[in-house]
Amino acid sequence: MIDMTPEASTRLERYLERMRAALRGSRSVEPAEIEQNVREHVEIALDGIPAPVGAERLGEVLEQLGPPERWLVDDDRPWWRRMLQRVSSGPEDWRLTYVAFGVFALGVLTLPIGIGVFFLACAFLLSRAAADLVAERGETLGARRWLVLPAIWLVLVLVSMGALISMIVPAMAIGIGNGDLYSLTGTQEASPGSLERVRVEVGFLAMSAGTWWVILAAIFAAVMKPFRTLFLPVTQRLSRKHAAILALVGVILASLGAVLLFVVR
Amino acid sequence: MTDTFYINWTTQLRKGLLELAILNSLGSGPLYGYELVRRLGDVDSLVITEGTVYPILSRLKNERYIESYIEESTEGPPRKYYRLTPRGREELQRMNDHWQQLHGALVTLRKEKKR
Repeated sequence: MIDMTPEASTRLERYLERMRAALRGSRSVEPAEIEQNVREHVEIALDGIPAPVGAERLGEVLEQLGPPERWLVDDDRPWWRRMLQRVSSGPEDWRLTYVAFGVFALGVLTLPIGIGVFFLACAFLLSRAAADLVAERGETLGARRWLVLPAIWLVLVLVSMGALISMIVPAMAIGIGNGDLYSLTGTQEASPGSLERVRVEVGFLAMSAGTWWVILAAIFAAVMKPFRTLFLPVTQRLSRKHAAILALVGVILASLGAVLLFVVR
Repeated sequence: MTDTFYINWTTQLRKGLLELAILNSLGSGPLYGYELVRRLGDVDSLVITEGTVYPILSRLKNERYIESYIEESTEGPPRKYYRLTPRGREELQRMNDHWQQLHGALVTLRKEKKR
C-alpha cells in the first residue's frame, strides 16, 4: 500500500467513487475487478516515489487514466446513461441544455393552466442532469448557465419561500382566528385596524416567523448536505454559516416581536 | 472533413481497435494491467485515456477470451496477470483475419482511386 498525504488519499477515493458511479449498471464489466486493477495501476505507477506521495503526483497518474465517465463503450452503459448521452451529444454538444431550457419555457408558459408545474419539475431534473454531465466531464457550464440555471433557481426559490412561510400562515390563522392573541395581550377592546391591533398582529407575526426560522435553521443545518446536492451548482457555496445567519435573523425577529407584544403598550 | 468529424471518426476507430490490440498484446504472453497499458501507450494515438483498457479487460474476461491469475512480484505488491484462453486465441485469429481482409480492401480501393 502506497503511503499518501491525506489530500492525495481523498483525491484517490473521490476518483474511485466517480469510477464506481460511472460503471454502475454496466452489463458486461465487473466494477470490483476494475477498481482492483486501477488501485494496482496507481500503486505501480507511484512505486519508488518518496513517501508520502502528494496529490499533485497522484493527479498526474489519474490524469493519464482519464475520466472514468468516458471509459465504457456505448453498449456497456446502462440504458439511462445511453439515453442521456444521446440527448446531450449533438453537433454542438448542447442538446440536453436546450431540451432543459425548452421544457422550462414550456413550464412557465403553461403554469396558468396547472400543467406547468409538471413541466417545471421535469425542467429541474433535466437541468440538474445537464449540470452534472458538464461537471463529470470536468468542464464549466460557461454560457450554458443561462439555459440550465433558471429552472434550478426557480425551484430553489419556490422551495425556500415555501419553507420560510409554511408555518407562519397557520400560526397567524390560529392566533388571530381564535382571538386568543387579543385576550392574551388584553387588546380585545381595540377596534380592527386600530394602531393597537396592528401592533399586536405585527408583533405576533414577527415572533412566530422568528421562532419558526430558528427551528428551520436547525433542520436546514441537519439536512445541509442532501439539500446542497439537490440544487447544485446553485448551492455550491452553501454552508452551515448560512443556517447560522437564518437562526440569528430568527432570534432578532422573534425578540422584536416579543418587545412589540409585551413591552410596547 | 471537419475537425469534429475527424475526431469522432478516430475515436470510434480507436475504440474498435483497442480490443484487437489488447488481444494481440496478450497473444505474445501474459501481461499485468499496468504493463499492458504501458505497452499499448507506446503505440501512437491508440490509448488516449489509459483507464479505458481496464473495462475492456473485464469484458474480455467475462467473455472468457482471457483469464487472470495473481503472481508475486519482487518489485512491489502481487500483480494480476492476464493471458489468452484457447477460446480467446481462436477469436484473436478470426479478428486478425477480418482486419487483414478490411485492410486489404481499403488498400485496393486507394489503388483504384489513383488509376
